[in-house]
Amino acid sequence: MIRHFLAKTLYWSDAAVKKLSFLALGTGVAFLLLMIVFVLRESSLGLGFAMNLFDFLVRQPWAPMATPPSHGIFHAWISTLVVTGLSLGLAIPLGFGIGLFLSEVAPRWVQQVMQPALEVLAGIPAVVYGFFGYVTLVRNFETWFDMPAGECLLIAGLILAVMVLPFVASTAAEAFRGVAQDLREMAYGLGVTQLYVMRRVLFRKALPGLFAAVALGLARALGETLAVLMLAGNTVAVPHSLLDRGQPLTALLTTELGETVVHSDKYQALFASGFILLIVVLGINVMIWTLKHRFLERSHA
Amino acid sequence: MHNAAVLSPTANMTGSETYRLSVLRDRLWRAALWFCGFIGFLLPVSIISYLVFEGIHRVSWSFLVDYPKGTPLGTQGGIWPAVEGSLALASIGLLVAFPLALGGGLYLSEYGRSQRFNETVRFLVECLAAVPSIIYGLFGYAFLVVFLKFGISLIAGGLVLALIMFPILLIAIQESLRSIDDAYREMGLSLGVTRFYLIRRVLLRKAWRGIVAGIVLAVGHAVGSAAPVLFTASIYFSKGGLGLDRPVMTLPTHLYNLVSEAISFDQAFGTALVLIAGLLIFNASATLLRRLGGGSAQ
Repeated sequence: MIRHFLAKTLYWSDAAVKKLSFLALGTGVAFLLLMIVFVLRESSLGLGFAMNLFDFLVRQPWAPMATPPSHGIFHAWISTLVVTGLSLGLAIPLGFGIGLFLSEVAPRWVQQVMQPALEVLAGIPAVVYGFFGYVTLVRNFETWFDMPAGECLLIAGLILAVMVLPFVASTAAEAFRGVAQDLREMAYGLGVTQLYVMRRVLFRKALPGLFAAVALGLARALGETLAVLMLAGNTVAVPHSLLDRGQPLTALLTTELGETVVHSDKYQALFASGFILLIVVLGINVMIWTLKHRFLERSHA
Repeated sequence: MHNAAVLSPTANMTGSETYRLSVLRDRLWRAALWFCGFIGFLLPVSIISYLVFEGIHRVSWSFLVDYPKGTPLGTQGGIWPAVEGSLALASIGLLVAFPLALGGGLYLSEYGRSQRFNETVRFLVECLAAVPSIIYGLFGYAFLVVFLKFGISLIAGGLVLALIMFPILLIAIQESLRSIDDAYREMGLSLGVTRFYLIRRVLLRKAWRGIVAGIVLAVGHAVGSAAPVLFTASIYFSKGGLGLDRPVMTLPTHLYNLVSEAISFDQAFGTALVLIAGLLIFNASATLLRRLGGGSAQ
């Protein structure tokens, strides 16, 4: 009797834990959906908006104080594009190089030193990067390039490159390490050089993983806020060169949100830009996911 | 051979010259890779040592435990309210997010039977982890601060940070559970214990290192990010003292304000160093705990 009771209690407590853990999972995941829905709701995007998308993205300037006020985000996404492109242009070659170095060339003790070093680089908060860029680059740019104020897209891109570098490098290293060892041995057995193996074997085999590394860096760079806010200059003019000031999307959001009347046109425009950013990043994530799965399937085959 | 038309740079070379050239190119390539590695090492070392070098003489015990002073406020004194606020925000975030993530991770790795369901949820969670923190800030502002009328407060910021921590924790917990050999599960279950007993007495004991690593990652991320708390929890200056419905100062937003309002670069160097050192010490102590801690290594 007692044993029966005990068994029953155990069974029920196990079932309860299962239910509780499911509930925990559901609660957490529900918030992702809530977040998407809520940002969309606050932006009041509808059919009318889709008609105005061109105005919003390209034609109108950002001039909330003008009469009538207009809320176009052309200057913001151009700045985002410039800064992101610049940072990836620097971080991808260097990151792939570090990845190759870690997986193919570096002796074991060097790998053991490099790994925590890259983790430290990834762990430095964005605001500290912004501050670091401000006290090192911004001040020197004022004298080097004879600028009245040193903040510009170039500096934001440079610092952003350092910020995404560890993510690109470690994902690339993982991709190179994932290439089967016997492929390397076969190639070396044919008497070719290491350069040849890297170029013709490793790069091709690791390609999906390398794409994932790029996509990860892209998602990071697009969403980075504090560093670009502090370094890009924060003006609403459309930038024409790398030494111009600009205002990436994330910087626009941070600058304006605090002083915006809730549910005003400007508020909706800000949430609409946030929603666009969210959708782009989620799209990139879907791409990473597909690449990873294709990569896994191929390496199992 | 020497009179032949030059079709390529290597066309008029003997075999051993071609060989030497490709060896040379290989050496150059290796040197270039070593150079990449060197830069990857130099960057963190130089950034950290620059911040330490510039900041160390601005940090003292009184800098840590004093309140901001001077005119304009913040040019003198210390940063205690910011330290306090950051710690409180991270603790609230962890207290809310950890149970949810533990439950979620256990369900995905131990209870969930449908492969399709697990994959879908894992995909959603990875999406959640990839969303930029400024979007969490927007959501927190619109939903918690405005819609639920929490106002700019400790609880709103803590919940936003919980949301940021949840996917990081869940992925870490699920991965460390998944890496445990299935033999342990089969042995346990064949002895007739319940899944919950197996989880408590076997699986969590083997997975705790991975879980600690996840906590470190999540907390480090949450303490360092300013974007999500800027509109949900933070205030320029406070006299200290915490209350769930009151705003707080945080280290990252304090650093941002000191720089963007050009209040004091001296104080900014000190604040940056405290933030960085805090994160590094936290990381290092967790690593130490994992090395020294009991239980078998995976």
